[in-house]
Amino acid sequence: MADALLEGRGLTRRFGGLVAVDAVDLVVKEGTVHGLIGPNGAGKTTLLNLVAAFFPASAGTLRFRGEDITRHGPAQRARQGIRRTFQNLKLFAEMTALQNASVGLHASNAAGVFDAIVGTRRHRREERAIANASHAALEFVGLGQYSDVVAGALAYGHRRLLEIARAIVARPTLLLLDEPAAGLNATEATNLSALIHRIRMQGTTIVLVEHHMDVVMSVCDTITVLNYGHKLAEGTPSGIQENPEVIEAYLGHAREPAHAGA
Amino acid sequence: MSADPALSPRRSLQSRVATLVFVAALLVFPAVYHNPFALHMMSLVAINAMVALGLQLLFGFSGQLSIGQAAFYGIGAYTSGLLTTKLGVPFPAALLASGVVASVASLLMVPVTRLSGVYLAVSTIGFSILVHLVLMNEEWLTGGTFGLIGIPRVSLFGYTLRNPAYSYFLCVGCALAVYAALVRLERSRFGRAINAIRQNEDAARSSGLAVTYLKSQCFVIAAFIAGLAGSLYAHQVRYLAPDDFTFWKSIEFLFMVVIGGVGSLFGAVLGAAFVVLLPEWLREIGDYRMLVFGALIVTAMLFGTRGLAGVLAATGRALGALMRRAAASG
Repeated sequence: MADALLEGRGLTRRFGGLVAVDAVDLVVKEGTVHGLIGPNGAGKTTLLNLVAAFFPASAGTLRFRGEDITRHGPAQRARQGIRRTFQNLKLFAEMTALQNASVGLHASNAAGVFDAIVGTRRHRREERAIANASHAALEFVGLGQYSDVVAGALAYGHRRLLEIARAIVARPTLLLLDEPAAGLNATEATNLSALIHRIRMQGTTIVLVEHHMDVVMSVCDTITVLNYGHKLAEGTPSGIQENPEVIEAYLGHAREPAHAGA
Repeated sequence: MSADPALSPRRSLQSRVATLVFVAALLVFPAVYHNPFALHMMSLVAINAMVALGLQLLFGFSGQLSIGQAAFYGIGAYTSGLLTTKLGVPFPAALLASGVVASVASLLMVPVTRLSGVYLAVSTIGFSILVHLVLMNEEWLTGGTFGLIGIPRVSLFGYTLRNPAYSYFLCVGCALAVYAALVRLERSRFGRAINAIRQNEDAARSSGLAVTYLKSQCFVIAAFIAGLAGSLYAHQVRYLAPDDFTFWKSIEFLFMVVIGGVGSLFGAVLGAAFVVLLPEWLREIGDYRMLVFGALIVTAMLFGTRGLAGVLAATGRALGALMRRAAASG
């Protein structure tokens, strides 16, 4: 334990003239839950997107399990064991919950066009395994009874859980959660904290972007605070809560940018 | 309830019975109605349905709008026509070669799969126009505007299929094989992957899917099927002209998919029947037929985006409900 699973150095992302993330170092230790917090527009989601290769970094390097993955695309990183959820849900709306989860297993299987048409043994074996693993992932997040429901017809909180099921079905090494508690009520947020804890117990390291402080403080081992694209502070939840700079950024003379998100 | 989780919804008894009845009807059709012209038209429906099924995979499943399928159809038709007339290649080999040549040609479209929506559509139209021009101008190979004449009838294992019923069985058989293959593909890992790409490409990519590769596979499969259909067409009509493969033909294939119902394999078959047969039935009204045809297409679209397959499913549901009510009261 305590080895750096993910190591970002000087990560920078510019959007035109705006520097959303400015030379941030991010070291995530294996087996931990690492929180990314900060006021709106601080660059939390941008940083998460750089780790997921949703867009390329303008500068900086990224190492995952010691390997330089700076130039790897999003699908390649997903296959290497980095999976994510999205702040504004991105599900396959016309597919059932079970099918949604099954897509997360695509890269771990091999049966192709020919196997499907001929109905080879490999195809049948894999389909059975995919169905079982997908169902287990739905059960794990608490959606077991909704496996045949079309994703677009699920309640909002359930859709959030379905995204998590799709992200963890392949047992990723690193899971990136982008505001998983957004829009959840108090009970759902508590359940989410318990779920994050259980995912971590399975051996998955987690990076969590979240505004919901109860969730952040209850599940994180380490917290990185971002402000205006810079790293403001880093430490344990209790250390962060007492950090005067963090308190000022959140409560002091508030000068938050007008736009939300990012 | 769901002790055994199902990745694909199980097919109902009704739909299995309906499929069986449909296939049986196709098989007995020549015996009941031995009219050479009707059989010829039905063969053309089967041939066009094959191309439409391939386009359904490409557009309805993977979400890639191609208005260039006539190019692959034409490439397949000319491949088969040339191989059999000029080199005396036997039909089964020419059929396979048509599929292969068309799918190799579709590899030219791989860079284009990075485009989406109208940009992809426009580049496929461009490809369709390009192929038409080649067919028209490379006279040494294709015969140019004079066309390619004297294409032999299909002969299988030394038997020449003179009886229109036999070539009907060949075309319908090929169409059924394509249909069955695509049904299986739809309900597989590959089918779920391309559906996922259509519904949310970002999510598909971050789930580890090789999006460009999967999209290209769809292009190649659709082109292979269009190539096979082109070969059957060449031996069905036995005369090829470049004007059979203009981009208007590509639009006709798109009509078949959209009228039949985007995303429905059976819809593609219904759409093919509609687009091939309707102008024939309307022949009596002469030049007005395309006017009526166009008006019918507009009307069909007003009924909703699920096409003929959607109308059929809704009718089936209504009938089922009516029968249940009758059974409950009676």
